[in-house]
Amino acid sequence: MSVHSKKATRRRVMSALGAAALAAPAIRSAHAQAKTIVFGGSVPLTGAAAETGLNVNNGYITAVSYFNDVLGGVEIAGEKYKLELKLFDDASDPARATTLIQRQIDEGTNFFLGSFGSNIVLPTAAITERAKKPMVQTGGGSDAIFTKGFKYVFGMYPRATRQFASTAALFKTLTPTPQTYSVIWTNDAFSKTAGQGVKLSCDAAGFKKLDEFELPAKPTDVSSVLGSVRANTPDLLVCVMHDQDSLLIARQMVASNTNVKCLFQGLGPQLASFREALGKYSEYLMCSTYWDESVPYKDKFFGDSRKFVEYYKTKFTRPIAYHTAGAAACIETYILAMQAAKSTNPEAVRDALSKADYETFYSRIKFTPDGDGDAIIMGSMIGQVQKTKLEIVFPEAASSAKALYPQPTWDKKA
Amino acid sequence: MTQKPAAFVAIILGCAVVLALAPLILPPFYVRVGQLMLYSAGLAVAWTILGGFAGYASFGHAAFIGVGAFAAGLVEERLTGLPPALLLPIGMLVGGLACAILSAAVAYPILRLRGTFFAIAMLGVCHVCAELNNNIDVLQGSLGLNFPAVAPAAWDPAVFFYELYLAAGVVVFLIAWQIQRSRFGAGLLSIREDEDTARMLGVPTERYKRIAFVASAVLTGLLGVIYAHSLGYITTDSVYRDDTNLSLIVYSLLGGMGTLFGPVIGAFMLVFITQVVLARLLDFHLFATGLLLVLLVLAAPGGVLGLVKSWKLRRRAAATAPAE
Amino acid sequence: MNLIIQTLADGLVLGGIYALAAVGFSLIFGVLHVINLSHGILVLLGAYLALILSTTLRIDPLLTMPAVMAVLFVVGYAYQRLLIQRAVDRSPLGSMLLTFGVALMLQNTMIWVFSPDMKSITPGYALASFKLGAISFDAVRVSCLLASLVMLCCLAALLKFSALGRVIRATAQQTLAARLCGVNVRHVYALTFAVSAAFAGASGIVIGIILPFSPADEGTWTLNAFVVVVLGGVGSPAGALIGGLLLGIVSTLTAQYIGPSFPNVTMFLLLVLLLLVRPQGLLGNAFAPSR
Repeated sequence: MSVHSKKATRRRVMSALGAAALAAPAIRSAHAQAKTIVFGGSVPLTGAAAETGLNVNNGYITAVSYFNDVLGGVEIAGEKYKLELKLFDDASDPARATTLIQRQIDEGTNFFLGSFGSNIVLPTAAITERAKKPMVQTGGGSDAIFTKGFKYVFGMYPRATRQFASTAALFKTLTPTPQTYSVIWTNDAFSKTAGQGVKLSCDAAGFKKLDEFELPAKPTDVSSVLGSVRANTPDLLVCVMHDQDSLLIARQMVASNTNVKCLFQGLGPQLASFREALGKYSEYLMCSTYWDESVPYKDKFFGDSRKFVEYYKTKFTRPIAYHTAGAAACIETYILAMQAAKSTNPEAVRDALSKADYETFYSRIKFTPDGDGDAIIMGSMIGQVQKTKLEIVFPEAASSAKALYPQPTWDKKA
Repeated sequence: MTQKPAAFVAIILGCAVVLALAPLILPPFYVRVGQLMLYSAGLAVAWTILGGFAGYASFGHAAFIGVGAFAAGLVEERLTGLPPALLLPIGMLVGGLACAILSAAVAYPILRLRGTFFAIAMLGVCHVCAELNNNIDVLQGSLGLNFPAVAPAAWDPAVFFYELYLAAGVVVFLIAWQIQRSRFGAGLLSIREDEDTARMLGVPTERYKRIAFVASAVLTGLLGVIYAHSLGYITTDSVYRDDTNLSLIVYSLLGGMGTLFGPVIGAFMLVFITQVVLARLLDFHLFATGLLLVLLVLAAPGGVLGLVKSWKLRRRAAATAPAE
Repeated sequence: MNLIIQTLADGLVLGGIYALAAVGFSLIFGVLHVINLSHGILVLLGAYLALILSTTLRIDPLLTMPAVMAVLFVVGYAYQRLLIQRAVDRSPLGSMLLTFGVALMLQNTMIWVFSPDMKSITPGYALASFKLGAISFDAVRVSCLLASLVMLCCLAALLKFSALGRVIRATAQQTLAARLCGVNVRHVYALTFAVSAAFAGASGIVIGIILPFSPADEGTWTLNAFVVVVLGGVGSPAGALIGGLLLGIVSTLTAQYIGPSFPNVTMFLLLVLLLLVRPQGLLGNAFAPSR
């Protein structure tokens, strides 16, 4: 008898467990719809884009825990919601990213945050677009994303070819007015389109182009390019590439004593680690930045950008980067859109996003009809390293210091 | 193979019909996983025609995925007026042709190398293709290439590509099976076991190797064309991937090197493990994948089929031992 | 004229560093016949160790070399005995995959420990330069080149004159005969691996000084080592040096005269061509006569 009953109980337990396992996802998604808003998507936490991926991920975590822990959730149309993040590592592999995005859609995730690199963002956006779920992302700036007629994809930056307009405007204000420029880019989709953007904007502003150089996607030596720069020296040297490559160029310029009146690096000097690595030589370098602790915007949740940074510092020791703030702003933008739509229906939220005109600690948020950030309102600011700090020198409304030009030669900085 | 050919084909087609009906009941995520499984299995079988049967393990087959995809995409871009139903076949034709030309061109010199040197040289070929594709502006490797939407409007694209991969996979599998049971396949096997002896015994080793190489490359390229269409937009980094190069070897090692079913089993298993089991690991999945590889090499060097075989042997030994 | 001399000089400097980074890979390939895909990780490990040591002890990063090499020697020995040995006599693919698995695990671990950020080692003279006639040299690159050459000579002497070197060479040429003569082959394998790891670590210091690095870079250094070894031939420091210098010169010449984005194309083209013409490398194979 005992044998029988034992078997029976075991079977019963097993079937109960099985049923629970089957029911679990259903319960969880039902639960999610009642009380929590889930944000899905991927970030690259391994591979070449991992540094920015980590900054972005920290931004998401900061925003979500602020809304949940400090504000006790958000109120949308009279109901309290908690926020939840469900992200995965796509390791920059499009096959992996598309498969796992589908899983989140199946599980009822309605709102997506984007990955990095247009070759990941585009295929995943095609899936979320088809499922009519919005995606607000900080990582894909290539024009290709915003010229496909997608209605549910929003970017926090202007598309790559428009990102340089404000920088060219700054160059015009320098005295004595620079005459010539050369541009260097690395051969990846983002930097290459940005390079085209530099040429468009600088030519339109009336500067004369001396040279353009295309580097491999991962350069290890740029001495030959710098040799050509020394032989034919422009007033402005513009480098558009990722942080690591910018550092390599700056170091080799110092070592080979290659001097220009202004070295502008799209990415690089905005990072504390970059300025540390170059030490005194990072003085006067200019870069694009989309956000800085000192920007003057008011925010209905965080107060302002200093308070955001204070809260960030209670969670992380990692130095804050503009990608972190941009990522947090993605989530805040969603919340503002949900409140405006008085709904958490993805299609209603999408409509609210397209009409967005909000002020956040990060910047004013307004998208073009194609979904990328408005080139003027969400365009880049120009930072310059002055006394080891990054000061905003353009546009004037947000500036904390005046642009210094021409830059002294490297040996004078030592 | 001991089965009757007709019965074998019937079984395979039966399995294919069952798989073809699967999207009716599978949730969309598993349709995507299924896509990836069938795509990987197709690639693995195509790879095995050269790497498994003839023993020439290529470490650069992603070259053919990339060349096929970009050749097709660049041609289709210029034919935008045509209906999408025509574009995909044209793309596959072009992609396959490009791979045939490339592989035929490199086959003669590169197949003189053996073992690891062949593997490395193929890696070199893959990188040369990738770099040229990336750096020559007309090839649009770094800016990216858009592919037309070829799925009929009534179909969910995910299901459409699932069925397409399935059809392609079955074709690749049957071709590989035909090769394996033919005189040509026996020749490839003799090359794997001892190439010099095979040549002395009159096997046309050079010709056989070249045919196997081109066949493997063309089939890989065709799958690459489908893959690119399913993504809709690719850059060089999407298709010329070193992890693909490596996965193709892993599939065979995991399932059983040199067999026909081994790569299929290996591909299904690895895709399931990485996309379903390990999918939720956020900053841990590289580590988990690495650990899996290490355990695989240490615990099951013959792959799953190797384990089954040794288990069968042991059981037979156990069964016969008491009788003696 | 100056331009071409400058280009050649830059290429030689770069090449010396490539050579040091590849020599360990070459040794393992020559003796154990294992393609060590975790080589790049060992290089990076050296760079991170040097970064930590030189900032905490406030000493010149090149002075951390003995400590870094000692650590990596131990790591390499243990790695071979515990893992590689179990796969070494099976198919070359198996051992290659094993090292790849380890590389993935370690890359992930490095991301946890050191963060995915780019780091760089910056000694006081990092940004200095000097001129010889009209040719300007990057001081840090030249000092790294010197360090590399010294290390390569040390390794060559070790292999040629020491008892350990004799045993390693004997094992590489005729593993079975060496075993019959009483050589403990497992021990020799492990020592070879340890020496290779130590040299990978040393090259990591040099690389960390001249280039920014992050955990994702490991693949680049493995691949570079691959190419250098195929160019120069397997198993000898001289081969690695020739391969490295050739690669360096070809890279800078291509960058200067064909286009800055083409060095990788010529690098791999050269790899394929050389494999076809001289699969044993330019200097031939230092150890095993046919492989």
